[in-house]
Amino acid sequence: MSVLSWFIWLSKSPVGEVMQKSTWGFAVVEIVHLLALAALGGTVLIMDLKLLGVIFKHQQVSRIARDLNPIFLGSLVFMVLSGVMLVSEEALKCYYNPAFRLKMLLLFLAIVFYFTLHRKALRISQDHPSWGSRAAAAISLALWLSIGLAGRAIGLI
Amino acid sequence: MSVLLHFCQWLYDSPIGTSIRESTYTFPIIETVHVLGITLLVGTISILDLRLLGLILKREPVSDVARQILPLTWIGFAVMFVSGFLLFWSEAAKSYWNPAFRIKLILLLLVGLNPLIFHLTIYRRVEDWNLAPITPWRARAAAIASLTLWSGIIIAGRAIAYF
Repeated sequence: MSVLSWFIWLSKSPVGEVMQKSTWGFAVVEIVHLLALAALGGTVLIMDLKLLGVIFKHQQVSRIARDLNPIFLGSLVFMVLSGVMLVSEEALKCYYNPAFRLKMLLLFLAIVFYFTLHRKALRISQDHPSWGSRAAAAISLALWLSIGLAGRAIGLI
Repeated sequence: MSVLLHFCQWLYDSPIGTSIRESTYTFPIIETVHVLGITLLVGTISILDLRLLGLILKREPVSDVARQILPLTWIGFAVMFVSGFLLFWSEAAKSYWNPAFRIKLILLLLVGLNPLIFHLTIYRRVEDWNLAPITPWRARAAAIASLTLWSGIIIAGRAIAYF
């Protein structure tokens, strides 16, 4: 099965049909996507600025991360679900949109990075940020910012 | 014609307002800054609100969390205010009549009063409840008000484009 056929399937799925027919569906789901962005972006910022040693200098990374992780993962789930619903409204347009393709690639990288090196850096409980954890934070910030920019660009291209 | 509408029309017709509106990229670029700035403003203040509700970072004193988070929130506020004002500048004459824009302004006023009341009242005695297992109801009320109002502001802000 090709990737294109997934997008065709999504646009013909019940979710896709509801999204295409309803007047307010897209607007409402887009608002959910924005609210989840606030939570996701906020937690990423706090965790990465902590890793960089900018804020919470006297607290342990692992303690901050333990509390923020559930918010990060919860909002990521909301982002992905609302994102899939937004795509289902105009799946084929998204499939051919370069900004959308770039966003999916970056999102894939960001998620893989989070569950591997980023989480490892967040588990360390040291007083001074190492170069490794600083690099992890910088990469994470760059990836999530690019995802936001690419996402914004989908509607403009 | 009211003074406010007059002012909005004047902004709308000004060279800066017109150039933002008529350029292909300026408006979308400012709008992108405004959308991503949500994370810096609302994303950070929500973390403090969740701490005030006693849901996260319970072992960190409230005043510590506030001291670490609020500078970021203020930077976020500055970014949002400047980018938001530029967007308004280019659309002022239309924004004036937009119901979503009017609601957003009222909510912004309310969300400004909230920390004012909070800092003048319960936060003055923060030393007494900095690490309390259950935060005072006034602190929790301020947190819920903040989360609700900011969500409303995001919703109203998004809705501006639909009217």
